[in-house]
Amino acid sequence: MGRHVGIVGVGQTHHARRRTDVSQAGLVREAVDRALADAKLSMEDIDTVVVATGPVLFAAVNQPEKWVVDAIGAQGKSVVRLTSGGGAGFAGALAGYYQVAGGFSERTLVVAYDKLSEGQLQYSISTLYDPFWGREFAVGIMGFSAAYWRARMDVLGHTEEAAAMVAAKNRKNAIANPYAHVKKEVSVEDVLNSKPLCWPIKLLDVPPISDGAAAIVLSSEKMAHHSTSRPAWIRGMAYCCEADNAPERSLMLSEPLAIASRQVYRAAGITNPRRQFDVVEVQEPYSCFELNYYESLGLCPPGQAAELMASGATQLDGDIPVNPSGGCMGANPIGAVGVIRLIEAATQVMGKNESHQIKDAKTALVQSGGGWANLRGCAVLSA
Amino acid sequence: MFSAPDSYPIDLPTFHSEINLPYTLTPGRAAGTFLAEVKNRRIVASRFASGQVVAPAQDFSSTGGEEPEAFVEAPHTGVLTAFTRVDGQVIGFIRLDGCDNDFPHRILAELDDLSIGQRVEAAWDDSVEQSILAVKGFKPAPDAPLGTVKPLETMEEPLGVIPYAMKLDYEHAYGPYYGRMFDEIRENGRFMGVRSPGSDVALLPPREIDDVAHSRTGTWKACEDTGTIRGCSIINMEVYGQTRKVPYVYAEIVLDGASTRMIHVIEIDSLEEAKEKIKPGTRVRAVWTQGERKGRVSDIERFEVIEE
Repeated sequence: MGRHVGIVGVGQTHHARRRTDVSQAGLVREAVDRALADAKLSMEDIDTVVVATGPVLFAAVNQPEKWVVDAIGAQGKSVVRLTSGGGAGFAGALAGYYQVAGGFSERTLVVAYDKLSEGQLQYSISTLYDPFWGREFAVGIMGFSAAYWRARMDVLGHTEEAAAMVAAKNRKNAIANPYAHVKKEVSVEDVLNSKPLCWPIKLLDVPPISDGAAAIVLSSEKMAHHSTSRPAWIRGMAYCCEADNAPERSLMLSEPLAIASRQVYRAAGITNPRRQFDVVEVQEPYSCFELNYYESLGLCPPGQAAELMASGATQLDGDIPVNPSGGCMGANPIGAVGVIRLIEAATQVMGKNESHQIKDAKTALVQSGGGWANLRGCAVLSA
Repeated sequence: MFSAPDSYPIDLPTFHSEINLPYTLTPGRAAGTFLAEVKNRRIVASRFASGQVVAPAQDFSSTGGEEPEAFVEAPHTGVLTAFTRVDGQVIGFIRLDGCDNDFPHRILAELDDLSIGQRVEAAWDDSVEQSILAVKGFKPAPDAPLGTVKPLETMEEPLGVIPYAMKLDYEHAYGPYYGRMFDEIRENGRFMGVRSPGSDVALLPPREIDDVAHSRTGTWKACEDTGTIRGCSIINMEVYGQTRKVPYVYAEIVLDGASTRMIHVIEIDSLEEAKEKIKPGTRVRAVWTQGERKGRVSDIERFEVIEE
């Protein structure tokens, strides 16, 4: 085991459908300034930097870290740039965690962003498909996410209504989130009656497309007290991966997430996730994803996600609130989302969440990933 | 690993693929102001608190990351600090008078007539706006007087969005497994996979190593034209780059005789009917194109539901 690592400062932009007043670098700068201020630090105090974004095709700038480093005043520091689809931000945080846990850095700044207003989102995602085998019929991530959901509907009972409840819950929670840009309450019926885009996925099951950045400062135990008396300690963190199209690959569950959660729960001493977590933040690019996470993360047995949703347990006043921030439904700057989920969970256990502070939250679960099921990670944070 | 004999040809036909993408880039305040001002034949620069002047204008200092104290107007004259020739075009670095950085641009002169430190002056292209190419290039100007950086009292609103496009061409190598599969599709109109070790079901597309057993795969096997849907969604939104007209079904299909899924489409008349008729477990059959087969997955035009 490495050294203890805590999140001691957080910052995110006020996300928007389109920010024409700043460049990509300017967007990053806003999040970094906020994170450093929150950690009571300046760039001089930072040893290493991780820059995470989605695929280059999202915004047509290759090696954006060179641009970003100038914009945040981090010239000459050790910089790693990382990309991993929708889980880029989370993977970036894991890279930063390893640096501090391994003793190679006392303080690491992780900044993640995407400026999705600039490119063609679904088409860019389609290029992740094998150019020989499938790309010509790909419909971004939405086509196959909906296909997998359709398969789960029959076997696991992930109904359109259950997913609509997720969408309605998260959209309502986002209203109080100062950083979200979609803030409109919708009913379960509104979701069910919204336009099918890739049925069963309908318009209101889908998050917005956003420009946004998010940053966290990771610190060793030795230096953490300079920033806060109550860091959010990372008790375990993992990010696992598998290829598409392997034989016997299940459409029903995400094996990488199951493996990641097993590792992380062991490290963090979690034996009963439903009871032990006070709050959960998940990356749900479509409402149907959240149902799958309930099962993959062990909040309920397989096949009972719809029941868990209907029981109200994952609502703000339930026993295991999921996405009090509103999740992706409030804002979805894809590459940044993994860090945004970490921020929302960290501020819960630090007692300073700005959307909906869950009373006495001490232990939080974070999930993030890319693809439908093949890049998945989770982390446990506690005060 | 697969080891090819020395006599095996290495210069084989490739699979052509293209990625075409339009963008709406956001330059930010400094570059946006620079681009808006070129129509007034002004070169906008950033002046930082340290006294440094950087042209074209930048939002952040490259030494400490601080924001500029003001935008200023840089002169049109400067010196050449580096040059080379690429495809017959001379490219150079220019340091404008009173500025502290070098930036690249076209040099409108022959390579032999240039020397480092030479005086140059901007030549404008009236037909171009909102681009650094409104300056056509820099031409030698041995007698140009030393220019000065001037304050910029009023300026245009920064441009918020710059249209841009990328077209990327690729020539992918097939490798021996994909090579044979696509040859079989083109020549014989059949999908061939390779057997998993100790099994009669085929991995499709074929591959050298089985993903689960991590051992060498076995012999080749032709899969059927029929198969079963495992997952499907009804595409009802138009997205950039789409080749089919909505609505249609995106389906992940396991061909009979295979263990892995392939992605294809099924044409439908109505969304409501498709919801009922097309689902996991539905049996489908490939419909091959009528024309010449090209050795691509799209040689199957579509799948259709088998009416049983």
